[in-house]
Amino acid sequence: MSGGEILSTLLASEVRGDLLILFHKNPGLIDTVDGIARRIGRTTITVISDLRELLLLGILKQKRIGASEVVFLDRARDREILELVANHLKTVQIGGAR
Amino acid sequence: MSQVSRQQCEDLMRMAMGTRESSSANPHGNLWPAQKSGANSNSTVEEAFSSLLTGIVCDALANALGRYVLDILASKGLLDDSDNPKQFDRGLQSLFGNGASVLERIVVKDLYRRLSIPYNSDAGFDYEKSLETAKEVCFVESRLK
Repeated sequence: MSGGEILSTLLASEVRGDLLILFHKNPGLIDTVDGIARRIGRTTITVISDLRELLLLGILKQKRIGASEVVFLDRARDREILELVANHLKTVQIGGAR
Repeated sequence: MSQVSRQQCEDLMRMAMGTRESSSANPHGNLWPAQKSGANSNSTVEEAFSSLLTGIVCDALANALGRYVLDILASKGLLDDSDNPKQFDRGLQSLFGNGASVLERIVVKDLYRRLSIPYNSDAGFDYEKSLETAKEVCFVESRLK
């Protein structure tokens, strides 16, 4: 996946933007899908597909703790992805030319 | 307008946050400096709004995409236009395509939260109009204080 494609995936919806901000502001956050939805002021059903996309991208990871399935930020993968995005943005000029 | 570096961005953020935190200097806890008269007052509010907005834009970009991306965008001059919605929108569109509106919504949501303006994610969105509304609220607030 190219930096541009990753960027499009990261910023595909407002919910996804909210999720990115939530986890970047709280990199140690570990919570259930319900809890995460509540933290960004949404319902589980409205965040589930965006969470899935971030899990597929690898920025978020999922694991079982006791009876709960929890989601957390994979900091190493997050760094990698943001670096790809940054390298892509370096090549794009404001105004559209590349 | 001069280039906005990351350091300036951080300074602006501190300024914007500081106005809210310094309750002894500003007993109302609002975002705006003590009122001056006439045109002076308008330009003071204008400047405070611009600083607040630039700080929020930096914050939104850094929190969504990281400090490194913010540095790159600052070096490209994107943040020079952060208080000029048309220019800023054009810059964002050229860099982020459809993602631009997501970043703009994040900025407006934070701005509205700080100004206690209700924000509705489901409503239609116009960045320029949203900023106009926020600015109007600032002017009204500054007159009331």
